[in-house]
Amino acid sequence: MLVIAFLAFIACTFEDIESDIGSQSNPNSQVQLAAQVGQVNRFFNKAISGEPLSNAMYCVVAGTVVWMLLIKLEPLVPGATWKAAVVAIPIGVGVAALIHMIFSTSAHCGRVAGQKRFEQPIYLDVLYGHLLPIATHGFMTTFCITSIAYIQSNIGTLSGNPQLNHPFALPLLGFIWGITVGSIGSSTGDVHYGTEREFQDRPFGEGKRVVYHGKITRYAECGVRTQKDIAGFCAKFGGPCTGMTFGLIILFENWRTLVGMLLGGFLPNLPAFTASGDMAAIGGIVMGLLIVAAFVVGNLVFVKWVRKKCGPFVGV
Amino acid sequence: MEPVMFLIVGYVVIGGLLASLGAHLLPVGGAPAAMGTATGIATGTVQIMLGAVLTGLFTAANVATFTDNILLVSLSGAVGATIMLVVVMFMANILYAFGCGVVPISGRVDVDPITKEPQAPYKTPQTDGHGVPNVVFISGTLGGFVGGFGGALMYFTLLNYAHFTAGTAAVASFSIFVANAILAAYNIRGTIEGFHDPKFKRLPKSMIASFAISLLAGIVVVLAAIGLGVI
Repeated sequence: MLVIAFLAFIACTFEDIESDIGSQSNPNSQVQLAAQVGQVNRFFNKAISGEPLSNAMYCVVAGTVVWMLLIKLEPLVPGATWKAAVVAIPIGVGVAALIHMIFSTSAHCGRVAGQKRFEQPIYLDVLYGHLLPIATHGFMTTFCITSIAYIQSNIGTLSGNPQLNHPFALPLLGFIWGITVGSIGSSTGDVHYGTEREFQDRPFGEGKRVVYHGKITRYAECGVRTQKDIAGFCAKFGGPCTGMTFGLIILFENWRTLVGMLLGGFLPNLPAFTASGDMAAIGGIVMGLLIVAAFVVGNLVFVKWVRKKCGPFVGV
Repeated sequence: MEPVMFLIVGYVVIGGLLASLGAHLLPVGGAPAAMGTATGIATGTVQIMLGAVLTGLFTAANVATFTDNILLVSLSGAVGATIMLVVVMFMANILYAFGCGVVPISGRVDVDPITKEPQAPYKTPQTDGHGVPNVVFISGTLGGFVGGFGGALMYFTLLNYAHFTAGTAAVASFSIFVANAILAAYNIRGTIEGFHDPKFKRLPKSMIASFAISLLAGIVVVLAAIGLGVI
């Protein structure tokens, strides 16, 4: 369970940084708007689709390739099926990374070509220079998600009790966690990129006003800013925070089910569809409600603390 | 006509209506929230709803392997989706506060209806609020619970009444959920803060549309089950 939570942390951290390098998320609306308000820029403008759907696509592609390879490879190594996974997972994820690069190229060129009337050029060095960082960060995300899906779909087989395997197949689990990782990356980490890094020459400590929209920060600490400068900045806070969000969710979700199973006396015996199974479910639900209550109270305390620390708005 | 057919259609319709209600309760900030220009979660209605419900569905599917109680499976899904949302909203607040120096403030009300904290003096001018304040957090928690319950309810119905396989039941229930979430997103049109938002009054229109689409989906599920010879 801790391995899965750790992999989730890595996956979502890299997902957020990948979306910052490729500018694939809600803050990309400002990159899109920049050229239209006369701010010609050297940002990579990739918004293939919403982050959840594109990540689900990479994870399903990887999961399907891995699944097919496992079917062929596992009979070759009887008794040590993990060896098949060691070969299959990187190959499957590699295929997904290639597809990721193809989509990135077409999305960037298509979007920027559409801005010709605003005199926004397609900088070829920006295109070539960002493809590899995008693919490598995307590879890490897809690799971790596929590994999580592999562990979850085979956890029973790996621990010697096939009944504990998750009922969903590997590609479907990849789809679920792909959607979730994109959803979290889009809703949490992008705030750091959109509110802070995109408008770094505006006052700190306030929401970005509508009049600032499109007027993004185009000059970096050294030279003209590209997305590579943004990745380094967001990797210090936005990325790890996003990773922790997904890691905590995976940890809590698996932990409360496991605690419920233990409380209901469901483990190590598995008397499914009995009062024991019902008790296991009730235990999981109660643990989950306690976690939710803790976060609600935590937010009450946190908001009160932030309001006190920052005080009312004093700008103009 | 067998009673189980009415049961399938009924539960799918209930699940669809709950999906629509859950989507309206969620604090969706969309692209403006990513710049701290609007209150709520910085992504679209469908995106965050799917993430939450699929997390719940993962646990619900696990629970459905050892209990056949529809209420327990649905509650497991509801709590899973709620956990996903509370963690996301809490971590978003941490990012707003420490990464951007922004105080969580509602843009739609001058006083928080739950904590009675004043909102207007803390708001940045020319914005529609920022972050996830308490009333919005509570609304999002309720939205996650209701939406997750609807998704897991549909999954259980398709799995145990229509006798789909686990994978097919997940994909089908997820698809019906998407249709309802998209209808709700059209109704919301951009951003919404939750039950205290004036846009929440548009809910009945979305419920009517959700009822129609869920009824159709329920009938299709029944036809598929009859075609497969499982009922």
